[in-house]
Amino acid sequence: MDVRNTWANRVSDRGMLYLFLLPTFGLLLFLVIFPLIWSLYLSFCEYSANAAKPPVFVGIQNYSSLFREKEVWDRFVTTGKFVLLAVAIEFFLGFGIAMLLNREFYGRSLLTTLFILPMMFSPAVIGKFFRFMMDTNWGIINYILGRLFGVPKIAWTTSYEYALYSLVITDVWIWTPFIVLLSLAGLSSVPKYLYEAADVDRASGWFKFRYITLPYVAPILILAVLFRTMDAFRFFDVVYVLTEGGPGYATQIIPFYIYKLAFSFWRTGKSCALAYVLLIIIIALSNIYITYLNRLRRA
Amino acid sequence: MRKLSFGLLLVFLLGLVLGGVATAEEVTLTITWAAWAPMDTLIALAEDFTAKTGIKVKGDPVPWPQYHDKVFTEFASGKTSFDIVLPDSQWLGEAVVGGHLLDITDWFNEHVKKEDFYETFITSYCEYPDGSGRYYGVPALGDFFGMCYRTDLFNDPEEQKAFQEKYGYALKVPETWSELKDIAEFFTRPEKNLYGVALWHAPIPTAGLTDEFLAVFWSFGAELWDPVTKRVKGYLNSEEGKAAARYWVDIYKYCPPGSANYSMDEANTAMQQGLVAMMGTYLAFYPGLVDPNLSLVWDKVDFFPTPREKEWYVQLGGQGMSISAYTPYKKEALMFLEWWLSPETQWKWAQAGMFSCMKPIVEDDKYLEYAPVNKVARVSYPHLKDYWEIPEYNEMGTVMAEILNAAILGKYTPEEAMDLIAEKHEEILERAGYYK
Repeated sequence: MDVRNTWANRVSDRGMLYLFLLPTFGLLLFLVIFPLIWSLYLSFCEYSANAAKPPVFVGIQNYSSLFREKEVWDRFVTTGKFVLLAVAIEFFLGFGIAMLLNREFYGRSLLTTLFILPMMFSPAVIGKFFRFMMDTNWGIINYILGRLFGVPKIAWTTSYEYALYSLVITDVWIWTPFIVLLSLAGLSSVPKYLYEAADVDRASGWFKFRYITLPYVAPILILAVLFRTMDAFRFFDVVYVLTEGGPGYATQIIPFYIYKLAFSFWRTGKSCALAYVLLIIIIALSNIYITYLNRLRRA
Repeated sequence: MRKLSFGLLLVFLLGLVLGGVATAEEVTLTITWAAWAPMDTLIALAEDFTAKTGIKVKGDPVPWPQYHDKVFTEFASGKTSFDIVLPDSQWLGEAVVGGHLLDITDWFNEHVKKEDFYETFITSYCEYPDGSGRYYGVPALGDFFGMCYRTDLFNDPEEQKAFQEKYGYALKVPETWSELKDIAEFFTRPEKNLYGVALWHAPIPTAGLTDEFLAVFWSFGAELWDPVTKRVKGYLNSEEGKAAARYWVDIYKYCPPGSANYSMDEANTAMQQGLVAMMGTYLAFYPGLVDPNLSLVWDKVDFFPTPREKEWYVQLGGQGMSISAYTPYKKEALMFLEWWLSPETQWKWAQAGMFSCMKPIVEDDKYLEYAPVNKVARVSYPHLKDYWEIPEYNEMGTVMAEILNAAILGKYTPEEAMDLIAEKHEEILERAGYYK
């Protein structure tokens, strides 16, 4: 059969390339680009997706009202505290564990696998587990603390003193393994001969860490912190399940508040504006990290 | 190879295009409601409807905390996966203003005998705005806020004697909120891991603090707003309103520690585990409290209505049954509503231990035999009251729940809390254009 005249054969290579790209590009346009542009437009509108009324353009009113409201500032402060605490603890704990795991010992592979398990669970399921474990009256954490150390019942998720820390503890439990993994990757890239040379020179442990280990792993650690910071700013599922934003609104970090504005109060325009403010903050912070990372690489 | 690639691309594109095309099939009505016993009962009863009409019915239960957001997110998309929905009474305004519920006024006037139902059920579950004569649903589950208590503790002669000595009156089911506080104080014994009362304190607008606080608030003689001008200041933060807030903050001392996030599950668990002497909840949740598989004290509990103080109001719960404006099966959904309202179905519903909204059933003494909570329903129904049914209710309820939740933990005084709530409510109403 002569196949040279079929329709498929008449399409050029470049044409075929575009044809293959078309569905992906279409999906990208429909699922990512359009919502981004549309939500940006809505952030300048008075609009409720739940009401049978079209958006009304109001300029920067949504943005200006955000910065006038004390409640919004309070939520930014809560978010800042959460991100700072969670990422700092994850960084030091994760890197420390990686240093311990970065040596040969029996059961190392099994232990490493166990360490990364928390990342594999759904955050909503983890939130539910921690809600049970941190329950004041029948949670296992209070039970153990009470039995072993005589500590009185702690209202982990329902008191102003502890609620934010309960979120930090949960986030640290889930995401420290991420830092461990990246740190291990960085540590394994350090050439062994450098340590051997340092040993010959009778260098101290601190010297080896400061002048051999750290310069090698620093770029990858910065990347790990960058990813965790970006992710911590988008922390939602666990808050929704563990504290529901309470007590009062003490643990309502910005993503949770955006959800409330968008899907509970149906203030779509304002929620879009707040989402863009958060996006700008994340991009700005990421740029600081990336600039520092580039400086490190050049050094 | 080129032909194969081209063929694969064609199959992929065809799949994308045809993926959403449904094939012709028999009608199946989908009902969405919260994931709880009444939903299971409704779906089981619906087999009768299927037997009569050939129309299949399936349930799409959603956990209570996600129920509102899930339903309204579907509404906002202009297409729903369900045909029939049982919205909370306070959702009605939000759903009607958004154009999400089918206007069934003509059908309603033809098929529903309003005098067969308690008036609150018609105005709160079916009509919007109140008094407009426009109907968007039919009464379904006549739920309300009530209380559960431990009979073994209340009937213990030693406890009765000690209570009489301490408070100067007999230990019995409380008739006023003040008595309830005395009893809660009396049974609060942290050393024995026993507390007075479990109440909903969760800072969420539905199934949280707002629901339960309002029963106290109204009974103390306070009002949410001026019903005509919708002005809040001077009503919500009146002396009566502040007295109710003081009571609410005060009684938290006799609730289990850490109960500031209690909603239905936590309050039920506290009762089931024997942690508290009394507990408040929407009484449609009662099956879990008398189930030997779930409760340690299942045979030691009984129920009573929320008490009075200056006045007597009971917070309305429950749901009507409405039709999604986006269903392609409007005729079949109306057939289902007609079947639902038939006395035969309503009696079966009551016999299954569910709250009926029909007066002739509730007032029949046989009704009292079907569930231990039915005697409480009959006394409570004449005192039912509901809160805001306007589209902004969720934000107003959230403000109230969050601020009072903060007040019980000492962030605000009760007076500051009520002033702040009044101020926030007026801001919300102002923004929504109620003060033009």
